[in-house]
Amino acid sequence: MADKTTYSCLLFQPKACLYGLNKNCTIMTRIYALFFAAFFLFGCDYHDRSRLDPHFDGTAYRAVYMSNEEISTITFRTGEPLVEPGKIYLLEPFLFVNEKGRGVHIIDNSDASKPKNISFISIPGNYDMAAKGNWLYADNYTDLLTFDISDPRAVRLTNRISGAVPVRDFPPHNNVYFECPDPSKGTVVAWEKVDVSAKPKCWR
Amino acid sequence: MKKIFVILVVLAVAQACQTDKSMSVGPESGKGGSMARFAINGNSLYIVDNQSLHLYDISTPDTPKKGSSKSLGIGIETIYPYQNNLFIGAQDGMYIFNNTDPSNPKLITKYQHVQSCDPVVVQGNYAYVTLRSGATCRNGNGTTSSLDVVDLSDLSYPRMLHTQNMLTPYGLGVSGKFLFVCEGTHGLKTFDIRNPHLPVLLNQNTGLHAYDVIVRNPGALIVIGEKGLYQFGFDENAGELELLSQIPVQ
Repeated sequence: MADKTTYSCLLFQPKACLYGLNKNCTIMTRIYALFFAAFFLFGCDYHDRSRLDPHFDGTAYRAVYMSNEEISTITFRTGEPLVEPGKIYLLEPFLFVNEKGRGVHIIDNSDASKPKNISFISIPGNYDMAAKGNWLYADNYTDLLTFDISDPRAVRLTNRISGAVPVRDFPPHNNVYFECPDPSKGTVVAWEKVDVSAKPKCWR
Repeated sequence: MKKIFVILVVLAVAQACQTDKSMSVGPESGKGGSMARFAINGNSLYIVDNQSLHLYDISTPDTPKKGSSKSLGIGIETIYPYQNNLFIGAQDGMYIFNNTDPSNPKLITKYQHVQSCDPVVVQGNYAYVTLRSGATCRNGNGTTSSLDVVDLSDLSYPRMLHTQNMLTPYGLGVSGKFLFVCEGTHGLKTFDIRNPHLPVLLNQNTGLHAYDVIVRNPGALIVIGEKGLYQFGFDENAGELELLSQIPVQ
């Protein structure tokens, strides 16, 4: 099992190892990673070679990209309706409701029988949050944002930490083909299933 | 005279509350659902990504500072702090960390189970875990979803006490005698856990889609799902749910 994990590190994250992003990679692992990365330079480094290629049914996942400018645009609005709610977080008397991939609703829950939807923080790529005192922490794709929520109707962004939540640039499915991501096009923000004529190089 | 007495009592109570507030030590952190990837304990913010646990020091709350990261397996999904421990749900098991020092959690053990998606909640010596099968969760055919009870009386040797089939379980919440399990399109289930190792289904509310739940004491539940946000009051003896409010999606 330990071997498999090591392999997974090399197979899934050779770049992370090389760049020192994965702190658990030792120097030896990095040297191995260099070989692996060189080996897969023109191929794909996502799949587990111990498994057979999945069946190709003419479909594959294609990355949806967003520019870094679009990603880091945070806006504050008055309450908006829930559309596709995700996770929830409670910091009495406020309730935070994630809008999947879009931001955080702030609900004044002083009276649970009459909750008031008071404001919305628009955060591209947001799925998670936690709060303490006057501060809300939320993900913005790979970044960690800090907001001052002492006045929930006038929220302020106070801090951004880039790369706090490492990127996962492959689709969240097993046994699928996908077009290898191209970092020059921006950050991968989603995956869409499309019909393709030829089998892509990448699969997992 | 009676009026004055009532006013005095109200004032005294108000004063007591006020005093209580000013005596509290530092700001409180909130409470996430069981599906959370973010959690706060003391001055530590924990973030789990697909394969690691990352720590941030928030003693200066407006500018978190990066602490250590711990590489775990693949498919980390949820984090649940409980007392001096962190419980991390992964696709192949549950990691238990000793978190006596919140800036340096130490792995105690990993409780392995079949491949699946699995949030966890804990009460006393029992962990309740839902295992959901599905394309992105559990590999292979013929597997079922379940609700498992894990004995934590010896944290180094967690062992499964009971398992029962579920439909499409997502988040869950525990409060005293009751365990609430979100069953996606199949609604919200309430279990009697007076016998903590044997959850007995009390009722199933099928009128809503339920994804995650936060138990808001005393006797109140917050449920989120595809159709909106629901709040319930519940009778702490009978467990009957009463809808307090809802914010439907548009």
